[in-house]
Amino acid sequence: MASVSSLAASLNPATPADAVARAELREIDASAKWPVIVFLLSGLVWLLVGSGFALVSSIKLHTPEFLGDYEWLTFGRARTAHLNSVVYGWSMNVAFAVAFWLMARLSRAQLRHAGVLIMAACFWNLGVTIGIIGILAGDSTSIEWLEIPPYATPLLFVAYALIGVWAVITFRFRKSEHIYVSQWYLLAALFWFPWLYSIAQIMLIFEPARGTVQALVNWWFAHNVLGLWFTPIGLAAAYYFIPKVLGKPIHSYYLSVLGFWSLAIFYNWAGVHHLIGGPVPAWVLSAGIAASLMMVIPVVVTAINHHLTMVGSFSALRYSPTLRFVVFGAVNYTLVSLTGSAMAIRSFNEITHFTHFTVAHAHQGMYAFFTMVMFGAVYYILPRILLKEWPSAALIRTHFWAAAIGVTLYWLDLSVGGWIQGSEMNNANIAFIDVVQHTIPWLFVRSVAGIVMTIGHLAFAVNIGWMLCARQPAGATAPTLFRPPPAMPVGSVP
Amino acid sequence: MAWVFYTLAFLLAAGLSGMAVYALYWSSKHGQLRDFERGAASIFDEQEPVGQMTDQFPARRGKHSSPPSRQPGARND
Repeated sequence: MASVSSLAASLNPATPADAVARAELREIDASAKWPVIVFLLSGLVWLLVGSGFALVSSIKLHTPEFLGDYEWLTFGRARTAHLNSVVYGWSMNVAFAVAFWLMARLSRAQLRHAGVLIMAACFWNLGVTIGIIGILAGDSTSIEWLEIPPYATPLLFVAYALIGVWAVITFRFRKSEHIYVSQWYLLAALFWFPWLYSIAQIMLIFEPARGTVQALVNWWFAHNVLGLWFTPIGLAAAYYFIPKVLGKPIHSYYLSVLGFWSLAIFYNWAGVHHLIGGPVPAWVLSAGIAASLMMVIPVVVTAINHHLTMVGSFSALRYSPTLRFVVFGAVNYTLVSLTGSAMAIRSFNEITHFTHFTVAHAHQGMYAFFTMVMFGAVYYILPRILLKEWPSAALIRTHFWAAAIGVTLYWLDLSVGGWIQGSEMNNANIAFIDVVQHTIPWLFVRSVAGIVMTIGHLAFAVNIGWMLCARQPAGATAPTLFRPPPAMPVGSVP
Repeated sequence: MAWVFYTLAFLLAAGLSGMAVYALYWSSKHGQLRDFERGAASIFDEQEPVGQMTDQFPARRGKHSSPPSRQPGARND
């Protein structure tokens, strides 16, 4: 809805048309400013907290006596606190921040009553805080990805209800005629997440299902929260920022729509491949394996689309921090998804199941893909809502290289180590304790990779803190203070 | 009591599936699945035109003590 100022400007015959459009975009960015900042800063705090728990639990795997005197930092609690800090703390908060900004921008609609969203952010983070403290105190539910104790989850439900409703309201008041593919992904994710979370809570916490159905529901939830919540938001960002930064429409919009609908149809079935070899009806597993392989369709479609959009413009990666992070994430989306499909094949799964290979896979999905895309999105969004430039290019580069090298090292290390571990576990001539001891060098390298990633997170945090404290230049009225772009080799433009 | 929860779970799943089918029908009826070139270009406009890169590393410190120069009427977000 046009604000009074833009309406007045539009009525003034002396006002150039471009000034009207600029004012509208500025108002949209301004309307999203405080919710985005609150969600982002909350996420940043959780990223640092989660990195701390990650290092503690990683070091404990090869040096078990590390912090061994603290009951609340035993491996089972520290590792669980890490997972919940980075998933419900960092990833959810940054997903909300990016999703709201994208939804407002793509809908060309202002975020109304931002105070409600800030209240939702407070509820959400209070719920996560109580949940993490509960986990450290030993109250974990011990259900993977749903460890937050039941006394904290009502706060998360209330917060999400406000967040979901507000996003839909923003969409409802859209001024854009066309619904861009990123909006499809965002809208779908906004409906999918409450469905997944509420069904999982009902069937695992409130009225637990019996027997193996519990395991089925657990992995249906845990896998789908990746594929039907974090993946659509990551892809929504990639489908917006890659063409937007390059100034070049996505190569094939048709393929992007095909990718969305095929993901919507196939992903929901795939989670049960985590139970291959378990006491689950064979037809359920076969359905899960088939769906996992069908996921090759949306993944390859997305990979082709992103790659062909980038063709001729790869040199732009030198100039744009957003593009670097997002393209790194998009490449890893392809790799992690194809690996995931392979892991669903029984003969492959026989080796990788119950090994560090799965841990490498999970980190490639949640970090190398999702988190890297979110970092890129933050580098694009924050200057536009704060009307300030990033204070340090060196810190951005430090962040990128530390995160990229760290997660690549982590993934390669645990993939190779996990494969060897799985092969050895399948060899009856090797004692189990020997298999465990053979993993120690790989676990040590994992800790080194974690430290490298944490250095990147610190650089990110310092840059954001510096940017927030920096004075806004006088006369900053445009959505961004970036210098006019030089003649950059952005490749052929259709 | 379990049947109440499971009925609710089934209704939620059925409702969501119905909404997905309706969304596909709606998008088809309202032309969202036609004219893909227009769809791809919908994130650009005359202020954010095709062909203009919109993100880059900030200037080195000390080089932009004053607000960066902007071409009159130019936007690059």
